[in-house]
Amino acid sequence: MHLVFGYIDPGAGSLVIQAIIAGIVSIPFFFRNAIRSTVGRFRRKPSGGAASQSVSSEDTGASPTKPE
Amino acid sequence: MTASPAAEREPGSYRDPSGFIFRRDGVLYRQVSQSFADEWAAFESSGLHAALQAKDLLIPDQPAELDLAAEAGAVAVIRPEPISFISYPFEWSFSQLKEAALLTLAAQALAAEHGMTLRDASAYNVQFLRGRPIMIDTLSFERAAPDKPWKPYRQFCEHFVAPLALMAHRDGRLGLLLRTYVDGVPLDLASELLPRGTRWSPGLAAHVHLHARAQRQHADEGRDAAPRAVTMSATRRLALLDHLRRTIEGLRLPARGTEWADYADQTSYSNVATASKDAIVREMLVAVSAKRAWDVGANTGRYSVIAADAGYEVVALDSDWAAVERHHLALRKAGEQRIMPLLADLADPSPAIGWENRERRSLLERANADVVIALALVHHLAIGRNVPLGMVAELMGRLGPNLIVEFVPKGDPMVRRLLATREDIFPGYSLEGFRTAFSTRFTIVDERPVEDSTRVIFRMARRAP
Repeated sequence: MHLVFGYIDPGAGSLVIQAIIAGIVSIPFFFRNAIRSTVGRFRRKPSGGAASQSVSSEDTGASPTKPE
Repeated sequence: MTASPAAEREPGSYRDPSGFIFRRDGVLYRQVSQSFADEWAAFESSGLHAALQAKDLLIPDQPAELDLAAEAGAVAVIRPEPISFISYPFEWSFSQLKEAALLTLAAQALAAEHGMTLRDASAYNVQFLRGRPIMIDTLSFERAAPDKPWKPYRQFCEHFVAPLALMAHRDGRLGLLLRTYVDGVPLDLASELLPRGTRWSPGLAAHVHLHARAQRQHADEGRDAAPRAVTMSATRRLALLDHLRRTIEGLRLPARGTEWADYADQTSYSNVATASKDAIVREMLVAVSAKRAWDVGANTGRYSVIAADAGYEVVALDSDWAAVERHHLALRKAGEQRIMPLLADLADPSPAIGWENRERRSLLERANADVVIALALVHHLAIGRNVPLGMVAELMGRLGPNLIVEFVPKGDPMVRRLLATREDIFPGYSLEGFRTAFSTRFTIVDERPVEDSTRVIFRMARRAP
């Protein structure tokens, strides 16, 4: 039923290859996300109770919590 | 049921049966078809419609009366904010196309958060509004099936990955392949043209080279038996889209690419002349006092900024892709939103392409300038491209009703350079010849010599035909 509105042709080869590529890149994708969430948890700790100061997990810039 | 005045369907809006764009009384509307009713309802109820607009990813729109519909069978009519100048992907520089690609992926990411997905990923679904790329196809979203692959993958690769990779790894001019291939650059062609070394770049190996090979291998699928259904988890779909984003972000023009656009910097005239020219152009723009300016032969946009500061929305055309790229990057750095740099050659303007040559309009059909600024340009056309002055005047008249134009005489170093390697077959190229040629199409309103130089700047108004 969803394909009713697929007015563009996704292409047989394109569907097959994207499934293969997605399978491969999902491995580093998974680990990157795992690392990011772990690092994020650790980096939030030093700021203690000041939740409003919590730093985004992607922020690697000069944050006050970053040990030099 | 249709109200007067008559509705006129946009010729480029025919591919997708979910709805279409039309004009009524000069106002732009989009009609949503009955067959798309469920998806439209999901788009609204999921909050995606509002979320995309809140993040400036989708063109703002207003609901309109249902009886404004152009044809029977509408479930909704919306009135999208009009874009003052429609540009096409083959007229964008590398970074403009890259921004459009990343915008498309950002819209997809937000859609995924709302349980929806893009249905297509055409570069023509992106326009530039107030200096920023924005999606204009409000009907590009549908509910995401939990285990389906990303349908627009192929289109995204053909419209964005392939041309960007070719520009980054082969030559910046290859973006113009999009002018030939209205449905995007064929991946087998891109794979053929890319340097062999790109086979070792994971992103391009996957999304261009292997992708092209898979297309070839599966070309006959479905002829004898139904193709096997491909399924894919939501996580894998996210991983694929993340990889596409990384691939696009990793594409960069080689440093040399933008080096030779230093024409504006090597001024052939003095500081006094530059200051005088700036002042004359500024005064003339203020005197015209209108809304839209086209700066033709804009280079990196010195006079585009003057026009913007005088209150104009500016389209800044140049035929050198490196100049357009540099201009765009400089505007980004300055946070400037009023200027749209564009790759276009007035001696060979973008043609109309696609179905019936009406799907994508030619540059001249899209011309909507109130004032045309043509500085240090006419000699490039008249001497560099052998275009008779009368024909140059004719073209300027087609672009807009007011003209600010500079005449650069033969004694000027820039014209001497053009004539250095060729025979001077231009006896009519003189100030008097220029005045005469332009007077058939325009009335000369003002004429000001640039101090400390031999150049003259004219302000002209188009004659009634």
